[in-house]
Amino acid sequence: MLSFIARRFAVAIPTILILIVVSFVLMFAAPGGPFNAERPLPPQVLANIEAKYGLDQPYWKQIFDYVWNVVVHFDFGPSFKYKDRSVNDIIAQGFPVTLTYGFWSFVVAVIVGVTLGVVAAIRHNTWLDYLAVGISIGAQSLPNFVMAPMLVIVFTLWLGWLPGGGWNGGQLQYLVLPVIALSTSYMASIARITRSSMLEVLNSGFIRTARAKGLSDGRIILRHALKPAMLPVLSYLGPAFVLMVTGSVIVDSYFSTGGIGVYFVNAAFNRDYSVMMGITILMGALTILFNLIVDLLYAWIDPKIRY
Amino acid sequence: MTLKNTLKATTAAALVLLGTAVYAEGHGATHPVTGEPLAAEQVFTYSTIDEIPSIDPGLVEDVEGSAVVRDLFEGLLNQDPDGNPVPGVATGYEVSEDKMTYTFTLRDNAVWSDGTPVTAGDFVYAWQRAANPETASPYSWYIELMSIENAAAVIAGEKPVTELGVKAIDDKTLEVRITQPLPYFPQMVTHGTTFPVPQHVVEEFGNDWVTPEHFVGNGAYVLTERVLQERLVREKSPTYWDADNVLIDKVVMLIINDSTQALTRWQAGEIDKTAQGLPPGQYPSLVQEYPNEAIAVPSLCSYYYNMNMRDTAPEWAKDVRVRQALSLAIDRDIIVEDVLAAGQFPAYTFTPGATAGFEVPMVEAAGMTQDERNEKAKALLAEAGYGSDNPISLEILYNTSESHKSVAIAVSQMWKQTLGVETTLANMEWQTFLEERGNGNFDVSRAGWCGDYNEASTFLDLMNSSSGYNDAGYNNPEVDALLAESKTLADPSANYTKVEEIIAADVPIIPIYHYTENFMLNDAIKGWPFENVQQTWYSRELYKVAE
Repeated sequence: MLSFIARRFAVAIPTILILIVVSFVLMFAAPGGPFNAERPLPPQVLANIEAKYGLDQPYWKQIFDYVWNVVVHFDFGPSFKYKDRSVNDIIAQGFPVTLTYGFWSFVVAVIVGVTLGVVAAIRHNTWLDYLAVGISIGAQSLPNFVMAPMLVIVFTLWLGWLPGGGWNGGQLQYLVLPVIALSTSYMASIARITRSSMLEVLNSGFIRTARAKGLSDGRIILRHALKPAMLPVLSYLGPAFVLMVTGSVIVDSYFSTGGIGVYFVNAAFNRDYSVMMGITILMGALTILFNLIVDLLYAWIDPKIRY
Repeated sequence: MTLKNTLKATTAAALVLLGTAVYAEGHGATHPVTGEPLAAEQVFTYSTIDEIPSIDPGLVEDVEGSAVVRDLFEGLLNQDPDGNPVPGVATGYEVSEDKMTYTFTLRDNAVWSDGTPVTAGDFVYAWQRAANPETASPYSWYIELMSIENAAAVIAGEKPVTELGVKAIDDKTLEVRITQPLPYFPQMVTHGTTFPVPQHVVEEFGNDWVTPEHFVGNGAYVLTERVLQERLVREKSPTYWDADNVLIDKVVMLIINDSTQALTRWQAGEIDKTAQGLPPGQYPSLVQEYPNEAIAVPSLCSYYYNMNMRDTAPEWAKDVRVRQALSLAIDRDIIVEDVLAAGQFPAYTFTPGATAGFEVPMVEAAGMTQDERNEKAKALLAEAGYGSDNPISLEILYNTSESHKSVAIAVSQMWKQTLGVETTLANMEWQTFLEERGNGNFDVSRAGWCGDYNEASTFLDLMNSSSGYNDAGYNNPEVDALLAESKTLADPSANYTKVEEIIAADVPIIPIYHYTENFMLNDAIKGWPFENVQQTWYSRELYKVAE
């Protein structure tokens, strides 16, 4: 087990390096640059700015300096667009926000999704099944950019119960709408995967044996069926968790939460190279980490899996 | 007086004071001048579309950032509600006979929010810092635009910053030397780039000096909270020299990326003012529903199409008659009234009529009906040898946006119907668009320009062949000469009129409309400078009346 983890970390380092290099190449290949604007800067002014940010250096040196600063100083550099803040500041401020609403969205999505899926599977082809499937298809087909403004119109404008946006340090009333908007489509996917995998498990031999032994339904489902049925759900949850905690541009821009999701898209449009790189690396590292965690959970759930 | 009597007197005085306080609390204060009852909570909340790149006066580059900088800092001069320069940190100034040396006298009671006096040296430091290549300010060109002695050489790193033409004669006297007389120079020092910065704080904290923990400013407000992409809060500064006349206690700026969302939150009463730019097409219904709160005021911005005037342009684009025909065939009234519908003004000249001291010249097209324009356009095109047997097909390049698209569709339809010109629309993501347009890879390209200061040259200088913003690639020595001459004239308006007439005849650009600012403003907020075409507003001039 330990050597497995060590091996995975050993592979992770070159993976991240490759990620950095590929992102850099793509970034430089895109037309324009961070300092192009409607009002082009006079050449001298542009030269001064490029010198300040090291953009006048050859590409290989920029990549090398960047990697060096990240690895040795853990410094992701200054933001080219938001000049009062460094990329470290931006991530330090925005990541806890997305982590908070992403985590709660994940919890809601898993609890509601798994419950719906299990209920649908054990009451297969009854009205409960149809209702659960109906809810999950509805939630899946309602994209969050439609959901978000609808929530605001209902809960803020009509009912006046919740603020229409903002974060204010993450108080509960600011958290509700972003969590609903972000969690619904994940919840729907989890419900569907759980349902089909549960159905498969319930039809397998060892469940029939358990039934033959005379175990109660509740015990069969909770002790014997749920754990193996969770395997396909788990492989979905790893990447889904990363996507949720690194935020959603829709949630961030509709609810003005100040999370990092909004930077990911804005940084690409603004050609804010350093912010784009910082967030890419963060997402890459989290993806690798959570894939590893999922693999370890696999072994815990399914004793047949050995590392 | 006995002890008992003293007690009595004190108690009575305390009761009177308490009574006054209770009265004030219960009945609310009134505005010292107008006598209007004021709201108990003097908080102004507004939204912007994007996070501000910087609130450091040396680095500030955008409109919203400038508004924050004007609250947190104060320059030599401010603008009054009509946009005229009025005393700020400087109580006044003197101009030398050759109009190239300005001597500003600073007020004695101007202090930084940490209590240190604001000195002429702070201005010298700030201006040198803005021009310093190491600061790499995107607005360092502004120092050059002000024609300050040695600005270009300092920015290029050829001379030390100490050679910049700005000097502290003593703590309260600032001398500025410029290289040519600029009638609008006083107007230029109302811009954030020229505001002082506290040397002692900047040097101690570096980039972090503009965080709430370290912030020191000399404006009517101090920075108290900043969460990037979420909010920026500033509160009344007790050390501001005119603090007694500041009514708004707290200003909250929220970043709301989506204009529809901002509108919903305005309707829910969460914000007092939305960012400029209501959701497309919504203004007419909003003005019906909220006649006093849906605002459209003229602004100093022009929307136009560049014609490609380079050698590499297609043959038809080189024929002035074709360019004139294309310009005439655009029905601006339809575009402003039906497509945009937010009070914009049809444009036949580049410079908006709202610009100070600018008399809109009567160009021929402006006085015609659209039928007459269409007839003339057809005749010109036929004369140039184009028509159904020799059709023109062209491409309009614009950056991806719903409203640019609607304008381009309307224009292409007009060209098709009147002139039989086939138009394809090409939209590009912003950065790609800028690169293509800058390199002249287009037939016709969309452009917008907002004045940096309230004077016609901020627009017309773009027509100079050497201007870096001359995307049309226009090169007319007569225009260059008129513009160069205008810099030395006491009253350059005749030159501006002439340049506009030449542009109208040559058609390097097709002016389409002049912008309005449109936004929602809670009618309890008073003091908004509607008359200021640059919408230069100061929170300290606003107040909230009781509902």
